[in-house]
Amino acid sequence: MMMTQNSNRGHPNWFTRFWAIVRYEMLWNIRKKKFIGIIAAVFVIATLILVVPVAISAYNGAKIAANADYAITFGGSGFVFLLFAIGTAVNSISSEFESGTIVPLVTKPVSRTMIFLGKVFGAFIILVVSYIVLYGYVTVASVIVYGPQNNLQYMPMIVIGSIVSTFIWVSLLFAVGSLSKNTIMTVIVAIILFLAFFFTAPLIGEFSGPSSTLNYFPGTGASGTILVGNGTSVGAGTDNIGANIVNYALYPSANVTYFKTNSTALMSGNATALITNIVSYTEPTSLVALRSIIIAAAYIAVFLLIAWYAFKRSQILE
Amino acid sequence: MDYAIETDNLTKNFGSLTAVNKLNLKVQKNTIHGFLGPNGAGKTTTIKILVGLLKPTAGSVKVLGQEVHVDDADSRLRIGYMPELPRFPKHLKGAELLDVYGRMYGMTQQQRAEQIPKLIESVGLKGRENDLIGKYSKGMQQRIGIAQALLNNPELVILDEPSIGLDPVGMMEVRELVKTISREGITVFLSSHLLFEVEQICDHVTIINNGSMLASDTLPNVSNQLGPSMIHIEIADLSAAVIAAVKNLSFVSGTWRTGNTLLVQVNTYNDIRANVSQAVTGAGGVIVGMSQKNANLEDIFIQLVTKDKGGKTQ
Repeated sequence: MMMTQNSNRGHPNWFTRFWAIVRYEMLWNIRKKKFIGIIAAVFVIATLILVVPVAISAYNGAKIAANADYAITFGGSGFVFLLFAIGTAVNSISSEFESGTIVPLVTKPVSRTMIFLGKVFGAFIILVVSYIVLYGYVTVASVIVYGPQNNLQYMPMIVIGSIVSTFIWVSLLFAVGSLSKNTIMTVIVAIILFLAFFFTAPLIGEFSGPSSTLNYFPGTGASGTILVGNGTSVGAGTDNIGANIVNYALYPSANVTYFKTNSTALMSGNATALITNIVSYTEPTSLVALRSIIIAAAYIAVFLLIAWYAFKRSQILE
Repeated sequence: MDYAIETDNLTKNFGSLTAVNKLNLKVQKNTIHGFLGPNGAGKTTTIKILVGLLKPTAGSVKVLGQEVHVDDADSRLRIGYMPELPRFPKHLKGAELLDVYGRMYGMTQQQRAEQIPKLIESVGLKGRENDLIGKYSKGMQQRIGIAQALLNNPELVILDEPSIGLDPVGMMEVRELVKTISREGITVFLSSHLLFEVEQICDHVTIINNGSMLASDTLPNVSNQLGPSMIHIEIADLSAAVIAAVKNLSFVSGTWRTGNTLLVQVNTYNDIRANVSQAVTGAGGVIVGMSQKNANLEDIFIQLVTKDKGGKTQ
């Protein structure tokens, strides 16, 4: 039945074992209904965003106005990043513990660090492929609906930015999953944090002005404007890394201007006073882009470090 | 002697509970070594320490001459392990699972292409290897579990309850498989609660209870600890007086009670059933059934475990 003893036992190199883990992770991931469902949902959302305005215009008998910047400004939202992260990473660690599949895996000749890195890299590859397909689809659809598009050479920046933005949530899911070993708890914690950032950041901005503090939480960050041409809206936070890089590429010497809301006028209902823009502060587009990348990288590093430590230290009692 | 497994005062505590207590286990190479014990005896905990899943509280473990440490990947290159009730990713196909595990062992494409179909056939999964594991029955998952434990042609295979979930035919096939791999010079260490299974295939046996070793030797030597033969007597309303009457017989060297059955160890090869019957009825007992036979593993197991639980009447 068996082959000659020892014939199958070499000393596999690091890369061979690592790539086996990546393969294992991807094979298991891409067939999950959860993953397929979430990817399908994101494509449906993207399609609706593209198609609904067209349908409304057609219904009203209006002609669709050409928009050469549609594709490059079609950045993903924080919610889409969270959805992608849940689809890609939620089962990677917690589900292995819950289902007991971790036992045969960690008794293979692969270290837990290697398993962890393989899972992270597997999630990265899945995100790269998913976003390339998504933004490819959006680009083609934009050309069809809104005519020839400008600055398509910067689309890879949007893809890279979306991957980094999503990876904040991926690494958070890895960390909570490694600590709790419970998939439901992992999802709940991620959604609660997302909602907390989503609702508190605009409130802070509304009453205290577009404080740069907002940029240090995952999310859209402080809202500003690049006062060139018709003006370009900027969200300086980690959800807009791709857009911030593109803004820097397009306007390397421009500043982002942040306006302070007149809260007294807001409270008194004085509309005239309210629309008076008070410049809060300005900063160069280079700083906005660089800061959003560094903050995202810091979150990713901290969350992954927590996840790795918890995964490596966990005893398997089941 | 060169041992495949050697533990020295191995101890594992979970809080105040001692799951494994100063275990000195020695498994000779090229043997099939049965690891027996009632539920909760510490078998699976011991095995998890052997394969590096758990860190011992005290003591040391050597497997194939190497100290075992948690997360020591290289030490697992020479070992095959099937956990109790193994679970595998349900979105992978059986053949895919073996292929990806084979890659982790560093098997070449040619090695995997040769080895995987053979293993699939030998564990009875031919024709189902391209089904998703999520569609496998419990028995089929057990079979793929055995296959993955043999994938790397290990020097030592550790099987934790390999027959759980299998039908009688499957159980027989597993026994034959274990015998086959043993003939190829692979040491097999298997835990089981099926005494007849261990008796049929193992040449060495270790019995543990409450984390402590009760016996460990070749099967004949363990049997000899119990004397030449045993009598099983099933008695209605087994009373202390009946037990005392049996114990007073000159040829009786020990008695153990399990329910209404009295296990009597005798130090003679003569048929003494008539004498025993007389003693039981004389003390007011009613014999429902009686048989005399040489000690088997079940007798040994019951004797050792009941003695350990304080059930010894002698």
